[in-house]
Amino acid sequence: MAELMPPDTRRCTYFFLYDGSKVRGEGDPTRQGICYFYPEETPLDKQELMCGQLAGVSRCVSELSSSPVHTLRLRRCKFAIHMMEDFFWALGCSTEVPTVSVCELLDHLINIFCFYNGPIRQSYQLNSKETLAAQWARYLSHVQSGPSEIYNIFRCLRTVDSTTVDPLLLLKAALILQACQRCPLVLTGCILFRGRVVSTQMSPQLTMKVMVQESETYTKSQRSNGASTSCSLGAPVSSTAVFLTTSELQYLQSTPVNKNVSPFSPPLLDAPPKKTRLSRTLSDTPSTESEPPRLQTPQKLSFSPHMSESDDSFSPAPSQSSADSPNTSPQPTRSPLPNGGHAVETEHKLSHHHGFKSNGGSSVFEENQCLNGDDVNGDAARRAVFDLQGDDSGNEQSRDAQMVVGDSGVCFRKAESKHPPPPFTCALDSLEESPLIPKMLYMHRVNGLVLALLVEHGFMSDAASMEEVYHSSLASLNGLEAHLRSIAAATPGTSGQYTFAHYDCIQSTLTTNVSGRSGGAPEHPFVRATSLLHSHFCDTETLQEAIIRNAGVAVYGTRSVAQVTYFQQHSGSLRNSGIPNQQDSAFSLPSKARHRLLKHGVNLL
Amino acid sequence: MKCLLIASESAEVLFHWTDLEYQRNIQEQYGASQEEGEELPAFEDILSTLFAPIIISYSTMEDSYTSFTTDNNHIYVLHQFDECLYIAVNGDGEEKEDDLRRKMYVMKKMIEVMFGMVTLSGTLLRKELRPQDTEQRIRLWKHLQNLIETYSHLRENDQSFLVEAVERLIHPMLCEQCIEFLERRLVQQLNSSVERAGEEVLHAFILVHTKLLAFYSSRNASILTTSDLLALIIMAQNMYPSNVDLDDQSPEDVESTSGSGPESFYTPEPSPSSRDSGSSDRPDRRGTPVFEFVDPDIQMAEDSLHALEISPPDPSTPRRVFLDISLKDGLYPMMPHSMYCLPLWPGITLVLLTKIPTSAVALSVYKYLEDFDKLEKRLREGQGSSAAARSPLNMQDVRCKLDKFVKALGPSELQSAQLQIVWTEFKNRAFAKNGPGFNKDLIPWCKKMKTQLCGIYRQCFLIDSTDFPQRLSPGLQEGAQAMMQEKLMDWKDFLLVKSKRNITMVSYLEDFPGLVHFICVDRSSGQMIAPSLSITERTTSELGKGPVARFIKSKVWGLVRTTRRYLQKGYSTVTLRDGDFYFCYFLWFENESGYKLDSVDIPVLPDDSPPIGTLACDYYKRLLRYYSKNHKGETVKCYELLTVHLGVIPTEIILQHCRQLASKLWEPSRNPLL
Repeated sequence: MAELMPPDTRRCTYFFLYDGSKVRGEGDPTRQGICYFYPEETPLDKQELMCGQLAGVSRCVSELSSSPVHTLRLRRCKFAIHMMEDFFWALGCSTEVPTVSVCELLDHLINIFCFYNGPIRQSYQLNSKETLAAQWARYLSHVQSGPSEIYNIFRCLRTVDSTTVDPLLLLKAALILQACQRCPLVLTGCILFRGRVVSTQMSPQLTMKVMVQESETYTKSQRSNGASTSCSLGAPVSSTAVFLTTSELQYLQSTPVNKNVSPFSPPLLDAPPKKTRLSRTLSDTPSTESEPPRLQTPQKLSFSPHMSESDDSFSPAPSQSSADSPNTSPQPTRSPLPNGGHAVETEHKLSHHHGFKSNGGSSVFEENQCLNGDDVNGDAARRAVFDLQGDDSGNEQSRDAQMVVGDSGVCFRKAESKHPPPPFTCALDSLEESPLIPKMLYMHRVNGLVLALLVEHGFMSDAASMEEVYHSSLASLNGLEAHLRSIAAATPGTSGQYTFAHYDCIQSTLTTNVSGRSGGAPEHPFVRATSLLHSHFCDTETLQEAIIRNAGVAVYGTRSVAQVTYFQQHSGSLRNSGIPNQQDSAFSLPSKARHRLLKHGVNLL
Repeated sequence: MKCLLIASESAEVLFHWTDLEYQRNIQEQYGASQEEGEELPAFEDILSTLFAPIIISYSTMEDSYTSFTTDNNHIYVLHQFDECLYIAVNGDGEEKEDDLRRKMYVMKKMIEVMFGMVTLSGTLLRKELRPQDTEQRIRLWKHLQNLIETYSHLRENDQSFLVEAVERLIHPMLCEQCIEFLERRLVQQLNSSVERAGEEVLHAFILVHTKLLAFYSSRNASILTTSDLLALIIMAQNMYPSNVDLDDQSPEDVESTSGSGPESFYTPEPSPSSRDSGSSDRPDRRGTPVFEFVDPDIQMAEDSLHALEISPPDPSTPRRVFLDISLKDGLYPMMPHSMYCLPLWPGITLVLLTKIPTSAVALSVYKYLEDFDKLEKRLREGQGSSAAARSPLNMQDVRCKLDKFVKALGPSELQSAQLQIVWTEFKNRAFAKNGPGFNKDLIPWCKKMKTQLCGIYRQCFLIDSTDFPQRLSPGLQEGAQAMMQEKLMDWKDFLLVKSKRNITMVSYLEDFPGLVHFICVDRSSGQMIAPSLSITERTTSELGKGPVARFIKSKVWGLVRTTRRYLQKGYSTVTLRDGDFYFCYFLWFENESGYKLDSVDIPVLPDDSPPIGTLACDYYKRLLRYYSKNHKGETVKCYELLTVHLGVIPTEIILQHCRQLASKLWEPSRNPLL
């Protein structure tokens, strides 16, 4: 019998893109079709063999089954395959990684490429093979950057540690994003800190794509202490062209822009859908005290944020139509606010409250700005924020905000149960069908902190809007950065008692105490069991919980619609005979998991 | 949409089995690339053309393919056994990857049972699987196709083939009576008869459908392995399919099973041999003319052609089967036996396994094959090693014995003449004073020797060469049949009903409230117990009728697949909450006195390892051997328990049930079976 197989912690053993259209004739060498091959040091002969054989055999199988090949397995390696026209992608991983994860990873890689480079065929027509090979290498190293083996199984967004970060900071980040959206050219955004998400308005998938660029500029800025100066506003701002799929764009347009999927920032102010539109509409009314007059110019308003997909330029729609557009029409019915109970409050307070709600964070922001004046010093900004909270109106706001948090929390859950996203959806945007729509990715870096915004093309040429967004967020970003920096890098406490991994399928976040340090050897049994259980959960929709045990290790897995949790208790010895026994420690895992994980914010009740 | 293909490395189709849907699909695929009005070539040629790129690419790759899946969920599984590449395809979602792999391994097992050591020579096996003569080829393939269909049907419907363990009828009194009858009356009478033509009945058993009523082995017989017994049950079912399913199945079910109808096309005839059992290690010399300088392979093909022309299917003709036996000096795989399937009534069959007089030749051939295999390995390893230095010594011994063996075979036989020529040449090279001696150049000659030895084996045990086939006389067979019929006449109807409701959940409901189903397997003896899962429309079981029962059945089948997956990866305890059910699986070891032994880390196997099971590549036997390493001198037993409970039952109660089941399930029926 085979002995225990040595763990291969490398996530990916092979990755290549092969273009069959380059190798048509009898004499065409296979190497002409190789667009990118990882590991790059592989001898060319072997590259040719792999590309030629795998592409050829897959083509044959596809023809036999009238359907593209999805996975291909060798004895020592498993490949996720993607075939599109003449392009052939293969991503090979160790056989221990769940197949579903390998397939997800390949789709993710291709999606990242298309996000930054546009349609694949077109980008290969426009750019040299070498340039794009560098891109692939970059994306591949990005997706492999997970700190431990467990990240081979779950494709996740890494977030700042909610247990160490003051929730107010997360709130503040969300407010900054909402403030930026007051510019109609800004579609959506996220705030990242040293490769981790602080707050995001985008779907997890989109955020992951944006983070590739962030980590890129981060390493660059680390190296040269400067960023590409594509903007007149100064060094820390950069921009790059990106491409969204139609479904992504629809998602951005059909749902409230600040549909807050941020993992930790409280889902504040997003209670009624169409919230932002409401805010924009209200912000048009002159009664709102803090609205910058510039944004009310009809010219600005004509830049409808709800653009038709076919038309990439700005449609000069009548200025009022944006308020009356079908998208915004349901607002009146939704306008009764969840905290209508505040009606007993004074007129002033009520109006203030409305102002706060409708403008998102902008009122805070504006006041902030006012208080700070032009002083963009981070400390000053921070002081200002907390000063603000100290004063009367600040109290009022935070109280209101809390109310809203509570209410919206309920709404959020309701929405969840109504439309539960399939927990382990592997179906990504199909790359073939959806045309890609070019947008811009705007990035404003303050040391380790990055404000990333998806913007319309016009934004980069619209100096006024850009300046507005830049200046309105600068102080807050500085403040936020200073705070986040001061928080010591949280060390995931590898509690010797147990190992766990908790994956939120909706937010794509992973909470775990698997550290990956010291080679991960003691954690390997847990990762191996998790990998098996994960495959099983993916295969069997009805499976809710499972306990698997061998002589030394017992692992418990449980899942709900939104999350899946794996837990292993380390006890001295699991001496047992394997015969059914109620006293067996393996069967007490569910209750242990419930207790132990509470302090990690995981509720299994 | 199912297919199983065996191909040689040069993409020659050695065997194929497809269901109608897949055949149509393939023909459409091919037809699309053809010109209008052109006639389709033979189906096997179409398959060969379409699969050739995969087969050729397979041999090109260093780390070879094990499986493909496509977006529309077609699964392809590939595995190479020696020089034969097996490809199994499923396109209807009814089988998973492990089912396909299992099917390939079972197919290989059936081929081994049918062709024995001929499977050790790629060249000979190719010729055997793909006879030159079209008609003969069609007959052979039809037979193999029926075997696959019978197996698939059993695997999908019979719990004992699901877990690959033998199910016995639980009726200790009758069982004991039958064993006694087999021993004292039947086998004794047969073995003392003069009409037995030198054959000796080693094993006799009675099957009621797929369940075992009684099993008797004579004292000097080796143990029949569970793997072989299961394979024999498949063969018996293939010859006399139980129409129990037909009785109460809905019309569409009948259609699907009709593929495994009765057939007796291909019958490897018994070997040429003298009637005298005393000279059992000296096969008879035939008077066939010797064609010198004829390619032995061609000659062989002609031989088998000849053999089939003169052998009309005769119900009293036994089947040649090759089974593993263990003697004092070791395990001998694929030793020739004759199998007599005597139908008593529809659904009830008496099976006799006999030792044929010439079987000692097989022992010798196997020993020499092993010797040459060892020699080849040593030569490969290089001459510097100490192993190589020792080999000439061993070879001297082999030389003497083989000289005698060749002499005994005599030169008049073509195959023996060929062996003699090759052996002489081998000796010249290996032992001559000025010859090259034992070096790498000898490797091809080792191979040639092995091929020749397989040829001898084939000649002795696969080709019928006399007009009077070797067998127990028809009269003797009829006598045995009549005796058994008389004995069981009063029990016949009871047995047929009992086989359908062997044990039922009713008897467990009171003690185990919430228990829906269970399967308990004793892996050391290869037996299982499970309540019947009758899911027919007419009969109502405890599980209800139709859909509910079918649902539970599908859950049980799924559970077995899941737990095997975990066992393959080293997990011997699994509990699952799935929908409204709670499933448990336990595997544990005991010593003979029932003391529970500590669990150990079970080896983790790669994904493409042989399937977890007994029928092909007995996993549990290897597991027991692995476990016994640390328990020397102790008889280790291995048990498995699977349970299905309602999900509302508290886990503690479920575990308590499992414990009770595990400890008392084997108590009421402790009488020896094998």
